[in-house]
Amino acid sequence: MDKILVFVEAKGDGPRKVSLELLSEGLKLVGSGQFSMEAVFLGKLPGTVKGKILHYTEKLIHVTDPALENYTAEGYAMALAGYARETGAKMILAGATQRARDFLPRVAVLLQTGIASDVTGANWDSNPMTFIRPMYGGRVLAEVSFSAYPAIVTARPNSFGVGASLAQKGEFAEFQAGISPGQVKTSVIKREETTLGKVDLTEADLIVAGGRGLKAAENFRLIEELARTIGATVGATRAVVDAKWRDQADQVGKSGKTVSPKLYMGAGISGAIHHIMGMDTAKVVLAINNDPHAIIFNYANYGIVGDLFEVLPAMTEELRNRLGK
Amino acid sequence: MNVVVLVKQIPDPEALVAIGGDGVSLDIEQKFAMNLFDEFAIEEALRIKAKHAGKVKVITLGSRKAIEALRTGIAMGADEAVLLEDEAFLAGDGYATALVLSRAIAKEPFDIILCGRQAIDDDRGEVGPMVAQFLGLPHVGGILKLDVADGRAVAEVAVEGGKETVEVQLPALFTAQKGLNEPRVPLITGVMRAMKAQIARATAADLGLATAQAGRPGSKVKVVQYSPPKKKPAVQIIPGAPREAAIEAVRILMDVERVL
Repeated sequence: MDKILVFVEAKGDGPRKVSLELLSEGLKLVGSGQFSMEAVFLGKLPGTVKGKILHYTEKLIHVTDPALENYTAEGYAMALAGYARETGAKMILAGATQRARDFLPRVAVLLQTGIASDVTGANWDSNPMTFIRPMYGGRVLAEVSFSAYPAIVTARPNSFGVGASLAQKGEFAEFQAGISPGQVKTSVIKREETTLGKVDLTEADLIVAGGRGLKAAENFRLIEELARTIGATVGATRAVVDAKWRDQADQVGKSGKTVSPKLYMGAGISGAIHHIMGMDTAKVVLAINNDPHAIIFNYANYGIVGDLFEVLPAMTEELRNRLGK
Repeated sequence: MNVVVLVKQIPDPEALVAIGGDGVSLDIEQKFAMNLFDEFAIEEALRIKAKHAGKVKVITLGSRKAIEALRTGIAMGADEAVLLEDEAFLAGDGYATALVLSRAIAKEPFDIILCGRQAIDDDRGEVGPMVAQFLGLPHVGGILKLDVADGRAVAEVAVEGGKETVEVQLPALFTAQKGLNEPRVPLITGVMRAMKAQIARATAADLGLATAQAGRPGSKVKVVQYSPPKKKPAVQIIPGAPREAAIEAVRILMDVERVL
């Protein structure tokens, strides 16, 4: 039976949603009878995170080592490659998070295999399995397959659903990575937290984004109020970030983040290609712009041609009424 | 301080991309630009050279047209340029490409390798970390600040919800992120120099590689076929005065699409 490893990351007191998405896909493969699956967690593992992971896997492996106390690409790559080699894994799945995309390419080199990065779909039943990756900012989809193993795949958040948890908790085991001192030449010397606990744009289900049409930094409060009403994350265009109205972390697009939410609302955004490349896998797009020819309407499911300074507050008010807030 | 910068010539973000009749090739409009993240990498290399002396070498893997990216690097101020040009190098995945690049880098001693966070054409973001691993070096991905002193570097990285400061032993590789610096615009004297500059070339044989190790034969991941993305249906404009349209939009999102 071929073994699948799912690299699991934590956020707050639980596993990341994208990790649960991949564990859920893995469980479906286990259900087909041809695969076994293990969740793999590296570094410090809080008890609450562990408890929640165990409901989505038959087995959780906690890889420990003093070198894994802080994230470094070298340390994580050595640890995961070491475990994958030890256990003869045929596939490694992970969410296409900043961290996974940073260290999994190193794992691929250590295991002399390839990686399919940021996939948005998988054909699990075809032989060999194939994976779908958007290229050229989503203008082409490439279907790729592996000629070396383990197949390493990172999946864009929100590409797969989270399934039902298991009735029975999985087993738990520890694995010592055995990284020798001095092998990791990177050390974290400081960590500053600014917006802890916020849902990251890349994993957000709901995004409200604003562009230059907001006219001034302080007007982003209209975007923030709407976002707060529905529990959405705020996004911004490059123009707005370059004008220092919003932080770089909020930028959606080619030089910012690629997002894939259930709902993307964009107000005062013209739709420059660089922006579209970062959000065109959103499921539902609502664009609000007073220019009926704004390019963003070509990529939207719904559009309101009108003044965002009137539309946004009216939407916030209506949502408050309907949601009873 | 010797700095190597890996750059890539990519189709302009607005270039038309069509899928070939065979389904496994792409027809791309011949409009090119340097990958935007690579410009940050070159700029940072030039700043390191200004502070610590040494030389800046730009390397690219590609066909003849990729020389443009190297000339841009020289026009900005790089000292040397190398084109890795061999039929055998083309159509490689991240692994095959990183193997060739790492062999080319290892030809001469260096202290720092810089490259962009990812190329915005194939969007893999794999080559930087892979090159570091092939060379057995540490890397720091997506840096916003870099300070070099005494054989060590301190880099700042944006992490989710904050910022991390990382110290690393040199030699090391860093991938550049937007926010690292403001790339300079080449001066006319630089452009003149770039036009006359000799571009060194290296083939698979020069790097001690068999053709089966590079390009498509050396790839671990292969494209089975290309397909166009699913077309979105035409936009449905919600009519009415702003207030009415807003209320109707909420109704659609809640009752029709059920995304709220």
